[in-house]
Amino acid sequence: MTVATAKPKAPPGRFGRFLKTAAIIFESRVATIGLFMVLFWIVAGLISLVWTPHDPNASDFMINQGSSAQNWLGTDALGRDVFSRVMAGTQVILLKTRIPDINWFGSFTTPNFVMPGGVAIWGVLGSLTLGSVLGLNAGYRGGWWDQAISQVMDALIAFPRIVLYLVVIAALGTGDLVMVLAISITGAPGIARLARSLALDIKTRDYIRAAETRGEGKTYIMFKEILPNALGPLLVDAMLRVGYAIFTIGTLGFLGVGLPPPEPDWGSMIADSRKFMRSTLYPILAPAFAISSLVIGLNLFADGLREEITRFQK
Amino acid sequence: MKDKISRDQMYEIHPRIPLAHKQLEEGRITRREFVRFATLLGMSATLAVACAPADEGSGVVEDDGDMADNGVPKRGGMITIGMATDQIIDHPARLSWIEGSNVVRQVCENLTQTNPGAITVPLLLESWEANDTVDQWTLKLREGILFNDGSPFNADTVLFNFGEWLNPEVGSSMLGLLGYLDGDIGRVEKVDDLTVRLNLARPEIGVPENLFHYPSAIMKEGFGGDFIKEPIGTGPFTLEDYVPGERIVLKARSDYWGKSEDGSALPYLDGITFVDLDKDASVSALEGGEIDTFYQPRPADMAALDGADNITSNVASTSSVTVLRMRMDIEPFNDIRVYNAVKKCQDRQKILNLAWLGAGDLGADAHIAPSQPAYAPREIPELDIEGAMALMEEWSADTGNSLPLAVTLVTKNDDGEAEFAQVLKEQMDKAGFDVTLDITEAGGYWERWDEVSLGITAWTDRPLCTMLIPLAYVADAEGNPVPWNETRWVDDEFIEVFNEAAGTLDLEARRELVGKLQDIMLERAPIGIPYFKGVGSLLNSKVKNVPLSPNSYFMLHEVYMEE
Repeated sequence: MTVATAKPKAPPGRFGRFLKTAAIIFESRVATIGLFMVLFWIVAGLISLVWTPHDPNASDFMINQGSSAQNWLGTDALGRDVFSRVMAGTQVILLKTRIPDINWFGSFTTPNFVMPGGVAIWGVLGSLTLGSVLGLNAGYRGGWWDQAISQVMDALIAFPRIVLYLVVIAALGTGDLVMVLAISITGAPGIARLARSLALDIKTRDYIRAAETRGEGKTYIMFKEILPNALGPLLVDAMLRVGYAIFTIGTLGFLGVGLPPPEPDWGSMIADSRKFMRSTLYPILAPAFAISSLVIGLNLFADGLREEITRFQK
Repeated sequence: MKDKISRDQMYEIHPRIPLAHKQLEEGRITRREFVRFATLLGMSATLAVACAPADEGSGVVEDDGDMADNGVPKRGGMITIGMATDQIIDHPARLSWIEGSNVVRQVCENLTQTNPGAITVPLLLESWEANDTVDQWTLKLREGILFNDGSPFNADTVLFNFGEWLNPEVGSSMLGLLGYLDGDIGRVEKVDDLTVRLNLARPEIGVPENLFHYPSAIMKEGFGGDFIKEPIGTGPFTLEDYVPGERIVLKARSDYWGKSEDGSALPYLDGITFVDLDKDASVSALEGGEIDTFYQPRPADMAALDGADNITSNVASTSSVTVLRMRMDIEPFNDIRVYNAVKKCQDRQKILNLAWLGAGDLGADAHIAPSQPAYAPREIPELDIEGAMALMEEWSADTGNSLPLAVTLVTKNDDGEAEFAQVLKEQMDKAGFDVTLDITEAGGYWERWDEVSLGITAWTDRPLCTMLIPLAYVADAEGNPVPWNETRWVDDEFIEVFNEAAGTLDLEARRELVGKLQDIMLERAPIGIPYFKGVGSLLNSKVKNVPLSPNSYFMLHEVYMEE
C-alpha cells in the first residue's frame, strides 16, 4: 500500500514575494491613483528619451503661440514646443542626472556622463543615506553622539530651507550634482530626526538585547538589526520627500538658480514664460500642471502606502 | 522760427559749418547730421533746423523723439514712476547707474542737454564757441541762476565741478571721457564770472555732448560728496524724502529759473514720486493706474501692455547692446579662427527676434550703432555654420585639439542675454563647439564680467561711439588694456584710425573713418554684436510732453498731467 503524501507547497520565490508585497499598493485606492499618476510621468519621461514631437531645445516656431495641430501645447518665448519640453522636463527630475567634467580650460563642460535616476531621486537617496546614518547613531549610541548630532540637525531644520539651498548653490554653482547635494543636505535633518526616534524605540526590543548579548558591534546592530526594522517608515517618508524635492527644483528654477538651460526644467519654464503670461498661458500652465500632478501623485502614493503598512502591522 | 542765414553768416559762427551745409545740399550727409554738427559748433538749434528744412539733403525726416502733444499744459499733479531706488547715490560724479542719475537729474542740471533727436543744446550754458581747430572751447554761462539754497551759479561753480571730475580720488568716469583735458585742471580757465574756457590737448568736437553725460551734474561749489546730505542743485525739483529701496519724493521749486517756450514758469508738476518696483510689478501697477510710467520697460512688458487702454508706448533706436565677447588672452580664444567661428554662428535676426522681440537694429559685430552719428551702413553678415566649422577644423588640425571644443558661455538673465545665449548655443553646437551655459542673476555675472573667457555683457547707450571706444577697446599709456576692456583686444591700427576720426571735422571723412573702425571690428575684434536694442517707453496717456530718451533719462521739467 502506498500512502499518498501531500507535497508541501513551495515557498514563493523572490519575484513572487515582490508581487505579494506590491499587491499591498493595490489594496489602497489612494496609493493606486498616486502610483498611476507617478507612472504616467515616468512613462512620459522614458518616451521622451527616444521621441518627442519636436526637438525640445530647438527654436523652430513662432514665439508664444497657442495650441495648434503642430504644437499641442503651443510654443514658448523662444519658439520651442511646450509639449516636447514638458515631456523632456521629466528626465532630469526622475530619470537622469548629468555628471559634469572639468575641461582643459578649467571650467565645467557639457556633461559627458549621464547617471540613471533623476536629480530628485538621487537627492532624496542622498538625504536618506545621510539622515539614516546620523539618526541611527544619535538614537542608538545616545550620550554626546545624540547631543551633537541632534543639535546640528535642529539648527539646520531651524534655518530657512530656501536660504539653505541658495547658500549651497552660491558656494558651489549650479548643475545637477549641486542640486543633488543641496537636496541631500537640506533633507537629511528631517530624515535623521525620524531615524533617531525609530532607533530609540527599536533599541529597547528584545532582539537588540540578544544581539548585544551575542557581542555584536554597534555598527552591526545599527545597520543589520535596527535599520531593516525602521526601513518601512523611512521609505514612506522618503517618498514624500521626492515630492518636496520636485517642488524645490521647480522653486529654484523659478528663482533662476536651478538647472542650467537649455535642458527643460519645469520651474525655469514657468519663470521664463511668466513675462509673457498676458500673451499665452500654455508655457506656464503646462509645467505647473506637471509639477503639481507629479507631486500630488507621489503624496497620494506615499499616504496610501503608509496607511496600508500601518494596517498590515496591526 | 528764425529764417535761413547765408553761408557767410554761417562762416562767422564757425568756418566748418558752410562746408557741412554744402554737403547737406548735395545729399551727402543727412539733415540730422547737419543739425547735430552745426549745433555742436555753436549754432543755435532753431537756426540749424531752419537752415536744414526737412525736404532738403537726404530727404530723411527724423523724428525728434518727443511724445509731445499740442494741448495746453496744465499745472499740478504728482507723477509716480516705478524704478529701482536701492542704488547708492553719493557723489553724482561717481554715478554708474542711470537709475540714480534719474533722481539727481531732477535736482541738479548739466551744462548742456542732448535732446531725443541727438541735438545738443545749452542748458546751464547760454552758448558755447569752438575755435577753428576745435581744440579751444569757450563756455558762456547763463546769468542769474540760483541753486535751491540761494547761492549763485557762476564760473567758479563750473571750475569746481571740472576739478571734481578730473580728480582721480573722486573716481568719476568723467575723467576718462574728458581725456582731451589730460586730467589737468589747468586746461580749464576762468575768463570772467560767466565765461570758462577749455584748452584741449587735442581737437574734439563732442565736448558739449560729453557735458550731458549722466555723471556730469553740476553741484554747488564746496559740495562735500554726499548728494543725500546736500541735495543742492539748480534743477526744477528738490529732494523731500529719500528711503532707499522704498521711495524717493521730490517737490517742485517755485523759483526755478527755467521757462517754457511761451515764457511761463516751470515745472508744471507739483512733484515726482519714485517707487521701488521690479519690472513685473511695474507692468501691473501701470495697467492699474498706480504708477504713471516705469524705468526702461522690456520688450515683453511692451508686448504685455500692447493695446492697453490709456497707455502710450514708443520705442527709440539706441546704442544699448548685449556684446558677445571673448577674452583673446585666454585659450582657446587667443586664436582668431576660434573667435571668428563663434561670430559666424550668430543668426542675427533670430537672436533679435527672440532676445528683444525684434525691437532694434541688426548689428555687424562693431560696437558702433546705427543710432550714433557717423555710423557707416554695412551689410549684415549671414549665419555661416559651414564657414565656422571650416575654421574650427583648421584650428583643430593645426593645434591637435579634438572637436567639439568644450566652452562655457557665461551671462546674466535679466536683459535678453539668456535668450541670446540659448539661440547661440543651438548654432554653435552645430559648428564644432560643445557649449555649456552658465546663466546667473545679474549680480552673479557682474562679479566676474571681465574675467570670464566667453560671455555676454550688456552695455548701455552712449550717444557717441567716441564715448564708448576709449572705455572698452583701447590700452592705457603703458600699453595695458584699460580696466573695462573685457576682451583685452588692443589693435594698433584700430586705435590709430580712432584717434584720426576723433579729430576729423569733415563729416564725410569722419564717416569713412568710422566705417573703417566698423570693418576692423568685424574682421578681427573678439566681439559679436547681433543687434542694438530699441528701448521702449510706456506711459499713462494722461502724462504729456515726455521726451523719449534713448538712454532712459527722465527729463521731467516740461512734463504735465492732463488730469
